[in-house]
Amino acid sequence: MAEIVGAFGVPHTPVFPWLVKRDGPDSETARLFARLTEHLAAVQPDLIVMFDTDHLNTFFLDNLPVFAVGVTEQFKGPCDEVRDCPIYTIKSLPDFAGHLRRAGVHAGFDLALVQDFPVDHSVAVPLHFMTPTMHIPVVPVFISGHISPLPTARRCFELGRLLRRAVVSWPRPLRVAVLGSGSFSLEVFGPRIAPGRSDGVPDPQWVTRILALLDHADVETLVASASEEQMLKAGNVGGELLNWIAMLGAFDACKPNFLAPQMQNGHAYAAWRLS
Amino acid sequence: MSVLAVNRLCRELLRDHEFRAAMRSDPASALGRYELTAQERGALLAGDVATLYRLGVNAFLMGYLARFEVCGLNLETYNSRIRSAADDVATADGH
Repeated sequence: MAEIVGAFGVPHTPVFPWLVKRDGPDSETARLFARLTEHLAAVQPDLIVMFDTDHLNTFFLDNLPVFAVGVTEQFKGPCDEVRDCPIYTIKSLPDFAGHLRRAGVHAGFDLALVQDFPVDHSVAVPLHFMTPTMHIPVVPVFISGHISPLPTARRCFELGRLLRRAVVSWPRPLRVAVLGSGSFSLEVFGPRIAPGRSDGVPDPQWVTRILALLDHADVETLVASASEEQMLKAGNVGGELLNWIAMLGAFDACKPNFLAPQMQNGHAYAAWRLS
Repeated sequence: MSVLAVNRLCRELLRDHEFRAAMRSDPASALGRYELTAQERGALLAGDVATLYRLGVNAFLMGYLARFEVCGLNLETYNSRIRSAADDVATADGH
């Protein structure tokens, strides 16, 4: 019997591999990722399904699906010159990915098919820290969280619900961990970056509010509050919250086993152990 | 649709190392293969990222201009110039 055994909210800041190499295992980022890695190992997943927003590397503005599923034996990344991060070959599980896509299309989710693709730092950086041996297959599900119009938070939550149904209807035993990748408030190379930096956190109050809603397992209020206006007010990559919301849709709301912010980055680390 | 061409050439800076080198040494020639408006070409050569942003060029992709230090840009000049477009945030990034 297939089941969702854990859920994880992860950041994907591209300088983190370099910073952790420089600052060592006692640095804040290294310790936070180590906690997630412990929780991931504890739930013993056979498969990771990762909700992710590509940064115009897997896709581009000439051909930009709102939702897409990677259906392939393996894929490579990061493809965007991430310092001190190897280019990994990441194996996948195309039978399950195809099953998820079929379940989606039949349920009214028009999930695009992508079969020959690289991934960027948003997939590779969290895996670099959490599964550096890449022994767990990964199915990426792409959500267009940067380029307006964004899909609604309700729709992304329902995409998570769809994943749960697809897992339940999978005919063989499979322990699935769900990851949601991204920031809550972050501007990257846009006008709201901080002086002297390439990024900024335009809406720290929104980050604090999301943290409280996650801690209280109030996913309904989070979904209702995450309008496109609010997410883009929080930065030009603020729509990455949709990956967390899709992840939250894959299980019944409950308190996280682990939740820790990095306010200076406008993001957080979270783990829910469900088995 | 030449804003798409500007977006595309920004990404080519990441992917095509010969183009990256050409943009660093002789950007006017390197831009020759792209069909751009005079305004886009002028703004690129001047490193005027605020104007490019107002024209609808994606900020994330423009970051490659600073990261790879082309058209007279580096993180410092990029930072001060893009922040001057802060009043135009609401209209940008949509398609």
